[in-house]
Amino acid sequence: MSAAGGAALALHGVGKVFAGGTAALSNVDLALAPGEIHALCGENGAGKSTLAAIAAGRLAPSAGRVERAGRVGLVHQHFELVERLRVWENVVLGREPRRGLRVDAAAARESVRTLARAHGLEVDPDAVVETLPVGVAQRVEILRELARDPRVLILDEPTAALAPGEIETLFATLRSLAARGTAILVITHKLDEVLGHAARVTVLRGGRVVMRATTDATSAAAIARAMVGGDVAPLAARAALTPREGLTVRSLRAGNGAQALAGVSFAVRRGEIVAVAGVEGNGQTTLVDAVAGTIPYAGEMSLGGRVLAPGDPAARIATGVRTIPQDRRREGLVLTWSVADNATLGDQARAPFARGGLRDARAGEAFARDIVERFDVRVPSVRTRAAALSGGNQQKLVVARALAHDPALVVAYQPTRGVDVAAAALVRSRLIEARNAGAAVLLVGFELDELLALADRLFAIYRGAFVAEYARADFDRARIGAAMAGAA
Amino acid sequence: MHETFAFVTLALVKAAPLVFAALAGVACERAGVLNIALEGGLTVSAFAAVAASYATGNPLLGLAAAVAAGALLGGVLGVAATRFGVDQIVAGTGLNLLAAGAGAYGLVVLFGAPGASPEVRALGPRGEAALVVAAFALALGMHAFFAYAPWGLRWRACGENPAALRAAGVDPARLRVAATLAGGAIAGLGGAFLSLGELDLYSDGMTAGRGFIALAAVIFGRWTPLGATAAAVAFGAASALQFVLQRSGVPSDLMAALPYLAALAALTGIAGRARPPQADGVPLQPETAP
Amino acid sequence: MALAGANPLDGFAALLSGALGGPRQLAETLVQTTALLFPALAVAFAFRAGLFNIGAEGQLVVGGLCAGLAGASLVAPGYVAIPLVLAAGAAGGACWGAIAGFLRARFGASEVIATLMLNVVALLLANYLVSGPLRAPGAQGPETALLPAAAWLPVVARGTRLTLAFPLALLLAGLLRFVFARTVFGYELRAAGEAPEAAARAGVALRRVAFTAIALSGAIAGLGGATIVAGTLHRFNVSLSPGYGFVAIAVALVGGLDPLRIVLAAFAFGILQSGSLTMQALAHVPKDVVSIVEGLAILALAARRVVAPRIATA
Repeated sequence: MSAAGGAALALHGVGKVFAGGTAALSNVDLALAPGEIHALCGENGAGKSTLAAIAAGRLAPSAGRVERAGRVGLVHQHFELVERLRVWENVVLGREPRRGLRVDAAAARESVRTLARAHGLEVDPDAVVETLPVGVAQRVEILRELARDPRVLILDEPTAALAPGEIETLFATLRSLAARGTAILVITHKLDEVLGHAARVTVLRGGRVVMRATTDATSAAAIARAMVGGDVAPLAARAALTPREGLTVRSLRAGNGAQALAGVSFAVRRGEIVAVAGVEGNGQTTLVDAVAGTIPYAGEMSLGGRVLAPGDPAARIATGVRTIPQDRRREGLVLTWSVADNATLGDQARAPFARGGLRDARAGEAFARDIVERFDVRVPSVRTRAAALSGGNQQKLVVARALAHDPALVVAYQPTRGVDVAAAALVRSRLIEARNAGAAVLLVGFELDELLALADRLFAIYRGAFVAEYARADFDRARIGAAMAGAA
Repeated sequence: MHETFAFVTLALVKAAPLVFAALAGVACERAGVLNIALEGGLTVSAFAAVAASYATGNPLLGLAAAVAAGALLGGVLGVAATRFGVDQIVAGTGLNLLAAGAGAYGLVVLFGAPGASPEVRALGPRGEAALVVAAFALALGMHAFFAYAPWGLRWRACGENPAALRAAGVDPARLRVAATLAGGAIAGLGGAFLSLGELDLYSDGMTAGRGFIALAAVIFGRWTPLGATAAAVAFGAASALQFVLQRSGVPSDLMAALPYLAALAALTGIAGRARPPQADGVPLQPETAP
Repeated sequence: MALAGANPLDGFAALLSGALGGPRQLAETLVQTTALLFPALAVAFAFRAGLFNIGAEGQLVVGGLCAGLAGASLVAPGYVAIPLVLAAGAAGGACWGAIAGFLRARFGASEVIATLMLNVVALLLANYLVSGPLRAPGAQGPETALLPAAAWLPVVARGTRLTLAFPLALLLAGLLRFVFARTVFGYELRAAGEAPEAAARAGVALRRVAFTAIALSGAIAGLGGATIVAGTLHRFNVSLSPGYGFVAIAVALVGGLDPLRIVLAAFAFGILQSGSLTMQALAHVPKDVVSIVEGLAILALAARRVVAPRIATA
């Protein structure tokens, strides 16, 4: 069985409107040939994930039709695994081999082993998923889809949490799958991966297809321009300055298990951006939380000579430590509140926003209006609920709030995650401007390119320890990538 | 020796409804539904049992009616929580109120007098014993179900990560409703035991918070069928102890409070900090793209 | 209603006339409204902080008990006795709530289970105390001694049972509204309830807020119990509350967790409560229909997801 014209997957005029009237997709045509590796690009909110869900049959389109030559498998960016179950239980869930009334566990295990070997994906069928590192868990996720013998495999941002070496392994697996006739659709915003591994690329913007090309006939710049619909503003200039004493960390031990920090010492001076590069799951979250003061730790931390006490975020904020958290919706904003109320989060008890325990709403609104303007947050009024803002505008609001009080130390954790290109450019420029104005900036993230573009110094983190340090003049992608994977 | 035997029998009789209710709780929570309406389930099923026995003179029909009533209440909780997005705690509270009112109301409407029903044909000592055995058999059966059966695997997945279940092609909403129906039916057995097993009538407030003790048993038992049963038996024994000590001057109220105090102690983690199913009490997210 | 063999129209008519038919009926309705309003405000207060306080009933009972005990042995003029008795009730309720709050803050224990358990313990404890050790000498039933007249809440409408408790409850509703909207404490409480992780990063001490919220919630419910003891019954016995604490949950939800709308909701439920007796007597509809309606109300209205998300364990 195949779709018309022999395509493995064909979308004709697919549209999707969600409740509330938002048109996530309009008139999308897309065709995948068997054995093709195809890249789908677009900003957040462009409709890529919606498209993937419709293509895989998880979501029904509002318009148009989908033709499939067989099953379409989908590997989500955020894994859909049952963490407390074992690998084999996750892989066979819903299609369990039976012996009488029972699940045939032995057969299940064997089938998982066979499948894994066939595709070169190493896993232990009996391991509990919770204990697996992210790269291995992804293999389980892929195996679960492969077990159903799909004609098409869609992967949504599969390399977000992988080290450079693991990315190579993944694409090798995908290439061998393609060689066997499976069509592969990779949703990614990493243009080097698009050009390096895909045969064709489709770009979505605002729910519509704006560009189709073969990868050897196009460039990263052209794809980026199609994604944004224009040119991106250049990064702010870095001022030449002499850094002063800022954050000093000695023998920091925090967290437990796989995410623990094992005695880290470093300094972030005022007037410099220090980046921490590593694969997700090597202790970055613990590091950020310890510096932000939300978790207890052992060791010493001081800012400008003054000692910081652990576990007291309020005191940190008072001392001039501001955080841009990695999940703005849960950690940065109260979505049901207005922009104005969100603008005072963190300073709610301080003048001018409050005096003697009573809040001054007008002062809050004035401040909100000021930062909204300075940071280009597109919002009809400061009374608008934060939930109504786009991801990019929400992030700009969080960044604005963090930078508006002239912080001494800014901890930025994935500051441009899930944000449209224009907003991301603004955020990056503002971080540089904060650095120019004398703030110490600790930048933690998983996009190596962004870290390299912004940082004055860079540490590679692996299993909770800093394994290498590089000055800007010595940035070397290959060596840093190796250090991130533990091979320094 | 005779006294020990009598005590054990009493403990089992006191434990049986708790075991049923606790198993019902485990069934629901392992699928991700925090069922605080077990109390209401016991109430309506106890009433239905008496009503059916009264109407037909057949206690077995009473048993059937109890199971049906319990399942119905459970089903309402399940549907409210999945289809209508009602918060599980809130829905449970509402159902408890509803059940209490319905029970009292039913007393007046069916029997013409508030407070208590007339005596009806009960299950008798053989029936009582059969139910007690059934309770333990059910515990073992549930254990085997979760450990070995395909649907047991899916049930556990539903309680931990319903999205994963959906990705595997099984509808978690349907499973949760099935869980509340099954749980409700099991609680129905407990209610029938109360009104037709231990006694032979229905009276206002006869459930006396057993549905809540059962929740404590689930926590103590770390959300496993065997653990919850053991905890329920322990609570039943405490209840029996209260009876025995009644004559020795220990105030009955304080004894009656024992299970609840034990539950509070369990909350402090004295019994070990086990983790509930990850998606316990968490409403289902609709399938939308981010 | 039809099931009971009565005429539903008659039933409604009896309900309404029983509740609103005349000034005396209205006053009685307001008495019921007040009794519901205190625990409803208590429940809403905790809900706004992201906590499910299912234990308002128990806190109310403990508050009433403390009020009854404090008042019984008091010899003081009215303007001293009344505040003392009410304060005793609030303190009692606060302590009772604080147990659950402590379990939550220290052990991360579910306040749902804790408050549920404490409800029953409260009733058992109160029953034990007033049947035995604290029973009033010469009393006919299990109850505390009669409060001295100085400690009785003054009646605000002659010939009725409506006391100072009613305006006090209204004042409390207004106060809570002010706290939520205009104070830093209210801001932090709402943040903890609606976005606990963001609140933690903004310096809000989640555990302390949780503890304080449950304790204050208990205090409000306890105050309600105290007003029943000091205003209506003038003594404490275990039947002071026909489940106000549970119905209050419905009231809080119907009022959308907003103090002023809760006042209106409490009035509506007050009509149900006070009219139900008349309905039973005149139209022969059992008063328990009301409980059924209340239960259905919870189910129907909660579908709008009014309740804020819960605080994550800090």
